[in-house]
Amino acid sequence: MSAQPIVDIETLYRPTHDERARQQFVSTLRKHAIVDMRADLKRDWESRVEPALQARGEAPADWRGIERAMEAEPSFRFYSSVRYNVQEMTFLSVQEPVERALDGMIDVAREAAKRNPAGGSLRLTPNFEVPRYVSSLDIHLIPGSFHSEYTQDDVAQGAVVAFGSKVFGGQHPFRKKAGAVAESVGHWLHLKYPDFKPRRILDLGTCSGKNLFPYAEVFPGAELYGIDAGAPLLRFGHAQAEAAGLPVHFSQQNAESLDFPDGHFDLIVSSFFFHEIPLKSTHKILRECHRLLARGGMMVQMELPNEAAVSAYENFFWNWDTGNNAEPFYTTFRSQDPIALSTAAGFAAEQSFAHLIPDWVTFGEERYRRFVKGELPAPAHGSGGWFVFGARKT
Amino acid sequence: MTAQTPATAVKLPRQTRGKRPHFFDDPALDQMMTFLLELTTEVSVMRERLDTVERLLERDGKVTRETIEAYIPDADIEKVRAAWRDAYVKRVFRMHPAG
Repeated sequence: MSAQPIVDIETLYRPTHDERARQQFVSTLRKHAIVDMRADLKRDWESRVEPALQARGEAPADWRGIERAMEAEPSFRFYSSVRYNVQEMTFLSVQEPVERALDGMIDVAREAAKRNPAGGSLRLTPNFEVPRYVSSLDIHLIPGSFHSEYTQDDVAQGAVVAFGSKVFGGQHPFRKKAGAVAESVGHWLHLKYPDFKPRRILDLGTCSGKNLFPYAEVFPGAELYGIDAGAPLLRFGHAQAEAAGLPVHFSQQNAESLDFPDGHFDLIVSSFFFHEIPLKSTHKILRECHRLLARGGMMVQMELPNEAAVSAYENFFWNWDTGNNAEPFYTTFRSQDPIALSTAAGFAAEQSFAHLIPDWVTFGEERYRRFVKGELPAPAHGSGGWFVFGARKT
Repeated sequence: MTAQTPATAVKLPRQTRGKRPHFFDDPALDQMMTFLLELTTEVSVMRERLDTVERLLERDGKVTRETIEAYIPDADIEKVRAAWRDAYVKRVFRMHPAG
């Protein structure tokens, strides 16, 4: 007698015709802001604002100078306004259908947690102390952030983040596919270190595991673990994994102090994680990575390119999110040297790295092999490449 | 809302916490941009609904609210719609030449 499979939790979410149309348009608007208006902004800077400053002998020394010069320009005001509004509209566009589906989605998640037919697990901590850097603000302008719970066994924020991400990346040239980062990191590791066969993989700040699941395919047989502070995200992700037949072990933990034994993992990853947390926590977490890795193990953290790695203009562009997307630690994180972060955590400098890798899906396997051989460069971060830093533990 | 709130009664917060930044000297312009972007969105929603009605009429010769609601465009039609939305956004948000 075989157990009933877990229902795909996403099938319960049924936006109306007009809600779908609204989400599609918000995706288009988001793409317009982050691709087209971004290009207009840069053109305005390079062709008009910068030459005028240079002519007056007032060329800015750094990204803050560029920001000051651009702040009052219409190109910057409209770019910023559209980006901010579209961020709000992204989550607004999914909240109502999530509310209608919530009761049923919670039932599915409960069933998954009770039966674990794929062999994964969900471990939540009663009275878990959510770090203040998650609980005290609405990161990415998601009302309720990653952790809020509005009913028993709530999955709402997990659903809002998951479906909101689809709207957010729906028309973006490099973010259409969920899990693009994990696919890229996984295939890069596989091609670069053909002998590297991780037995256990840990994803920090996993949300609902979107950038953890693809490792099951790249490293068959590896045990997958994901930790996060947000219970609704973990419940939602666990339900998805069990429905997909993926045995994933989710637990609610603070990454600064994890309950796994020393040397438990061969690969520790994260994506879009460290720029959301205070520097003090980053140091603690990287030390945890060092403790948790077995000898020969690797950590690969996908992050924003650091300040020194890109031009003053790029820094102006990236750091916009710090004050305008509820990401207060973004600029501080980017000002750090990623190699120094790894060595401060106990990794050897010669085993540490910080560079771009191409996006797996859009770059193509043949070109990827040439990148690994050093024959092709990787595209810029967010434009077909991903910035990663990390180290191998010796 | 608490753990005692039934799942069917949950109303998620629509507003983010914290001070909303403004990008224009007059905050009324920031508010106006929100009105404008929401309105632009609703025009696209109506346009898409009209497109659905037209396609259903072409296909079935009649249309009901149920068939509109159930209509899911195939990949080719979605491609046409995406191109329309893209061109529409570019038309509406045409920037003046800088200078």
